[in-house]
Amino acid sequence: MAGVGVLVLFVKGFIVQQLTLGLASFCTWVERKGSALIQDRVGANRAGAFFEVGDLLKTDNVLLQPIAFVVRTLVLAPTLALVRFLGVLGVINTLLNDALKALLKEDFIPEGTSPFLHAMGPFMAVAPVFLAYAVVPLAPDFVVAGYTIRPQVVELNAGLLFLLAMGSLAVYGVILAGLTGNNKFSLLGALRASAQMISYELAMGTTFATLVLVYGSLDLYEIVMAQAGSVMNWGILHGTGIVSFIILFVVGMAETKRGPFDMPESESELVAGYFTEYSGMKFLLFWLGEFAEIALFSLILTIFFFGGWHIPFVSLPEGVWWAALVGHAVLIGKVLFFCVLQIVIRWTLPRFRYDQLMDLGWKILLPLSLVNLVVAAVIELSLK
Amino acid sequence: MNIFFILLSAIALSSALGVILMRNPIHSALCLIVNLVAIAGYFALLNAHFLALVQIIVYAGAIMVLVVFVLMLLNSKLEEQKSAGLFMLVVSSVFAVMFIVHMSKIYGAEFSTSGVASASLQGTVANLGRVLFTQYVFSFEASAVLLMAAIVGAAMLAKTTPERPRGDGERV
Repeated sequence: MAGVGVLVLFVKGFIVQQLTLGLASFCTWVERKGSALIQDRVGANRAGAFFEVGDLLKTDNVLLQPIAFVVRTLVLAPTLALVRFLGVLGVINTLLNDALKALLKEDFIPEGTSPFLHAMGPFMAVAPVFLAYAVVPLAPDFVVAGYTIRPQVVELNAGLLFLLAMGSLAVYGVILAGLTGNNKFSLLGALRASAQMISYELAMGTTFATLVLVYGSLDLYEIVMAQAGSVMNWGILHGTGIVSFIILFVVGMAETKRGPFDMPESESELVAGYFTEYSGMKFLLFWLGEFAEIALFSLILTIFFFGGWHIPFVSLPEGVWWAALVGHAVLIGKVLFFCVLQIVIRWTLPRFRYDQLMDLGWKILLPLSLVNLVVAAVIELSLK
Repeated sequence: MNIFFILLSAIALSSALGVILMRNPIHSALCLIVNLVAIAGYFALLNAHFLALVQIIVYAGAIMVLVVFVLMLLNSKLEEQKSAGLFMLVVSSVFAVMFIVHMSKIYGAEFSTSGVASASLQGTVANLGRVLFTQYVFSFEASAVLLMAAIVGAAMLAKTTPERPRGDGERV
C-alpha cells in the first residue's frame, strides 16, 4: 500500500517535471520564432530543414533490398519529413542545436570567486521554480484501478503559501549570480533584479491574500473546484477579480524580469545583467528558469481567474480518466495562451526606466492591491 | 528515527557550524539561509506546514535577503584572525556551561503532549486561524499593532526632509 503511494508520487513528480520542461521549451521556441515574426524577420529555419532520404540505406545486397525499401518508405521518409517540417519552424534549432551548443561550450568561471557558489547561482534560479510546480493541480481527480489519483504532486493545505515561499527563495539565484560574477555589471544587475523582485512580491502577497479571502482556501485544487459551473463562477468575473487579475499579471511580468521590466539585464547598459559571467549550460539554465517561471505564472493566472480545467457551458463527468485528460488539455491550452501573451508583450513594449518601475510597484500596485483587499472583503461579507 | 529527521539534522547542524566557522561573512549568511530552511523542514515533519512555509517566507526569504544585501553593498573583507580577549573567553565559557547544563536537563526528559491537538488538525491553516482569532486574539492584535508601529517608525527614520532650494533654485 505504502509502496504504491510512493510509486504514484514518483510518477506524478516525473510527469510534472517533464511538463515543466515541455512548457519551458515551448516558451523558448515562441520566444525565438515569435519574436522573429513580430520583428518581420524569418527567424530560425535552417537546422534540419534540408534533411532528405537521398542515398541512406541504399544497398547492393539483393536480399536486403526489400527490407531497406520498406524501412526507407515507411520509417525514414516520414521521420525526415517531420524533421524538415520542425526544422522550417525553427524547433530543431531552438530546442536541439542551441542546447547542444551550450553543452559543448567552455564553462567559464570568473577569477577570485568560489566555483561552488558560482554553480549554485543557476541552480537556485531554477530549483525553486520547478519545486513550485509541485503544488499546482493539473487536472481533475480520476480513478484508476480503484485508486483515486489527484494530479497534483503534493496536496498541501497551504499550497498558495508554498508558491510565495518558493518565489522568495528564487531571489537567491539572482543574488548569488551577481555576487560570484565579480564584476560591476553582474552586481548592478543583481541589485536591480532582487530589488525589483522583492518590491513586487508585496503586491503579489496582498493579492494572494485577497484571493484566499474570496475562495476561502489556500489549496489550489479547491480554488479550481470553486470555479466549476457557469462562467460567472470564474475568478475574473467574481467581485473584484478583474483588478486582482491585472495586478497579478503585471506582477508576474515583473517577477519573471521580462517584458518592459527587464532592467536587470538591459543589454545596452549592463551587458547581460546578473548572468553576464555565465556561459554554456549555466547561462541556459537561467533562461530555462525564466521560461519555467513564465509558464508557472500563466498556470497561476489560469487557476485563479480562468477556471483552471473547467470549460464554459460544458461539465465533464467526474472521476473518469478521459475527462481528466480533456481537463488537462483545456488547462494547458489556457496556459499556452498566457505564455504567448506574455512573450508578445515582452517584444512589443519598450523598457521602463528604473524609477518608473519602482513607482509602479510601490505607489500604484501596492496601494491598489491594499484597496482591492478591503473592497473584496466588503463584497464577500455582503454576499454572505 | 525518521530518515528525514536525520537528514535535516545533518544539514541543520553542519550549516549552523558553517555560520560560525566560515571566514567570509557572505558564506556565513548563506549557511544561515540553509539552516533556516532546514528548521522549516522540522516544522514540516511536525505537520506544521503553515509554520514551515512562513519560516521560509519571513526568515529565509525576507530577512536574510536584507542581510545578504547589506553584506554585498558593504563589500566586507575577510574577517581578520584575532585571538579572543579575556573578557570574551569568560563570557563565552559561561554561556557554554549554561548551554551544556540546559541540554543535559532536556536530554531524556518526558514532554507532556496533553495540550496538543489531534494529528488531523495540527498545523492546518484553518485550525491555526481559528486559534489565533479566538483564544489568542488579544496577543495577535497586540503584535499586529507593534509591527505596524515598527513599520511606521522605520519609514519615519528613513525619510529624508528635502532641502530647501537656495538662491537660483540650486540644491545644496
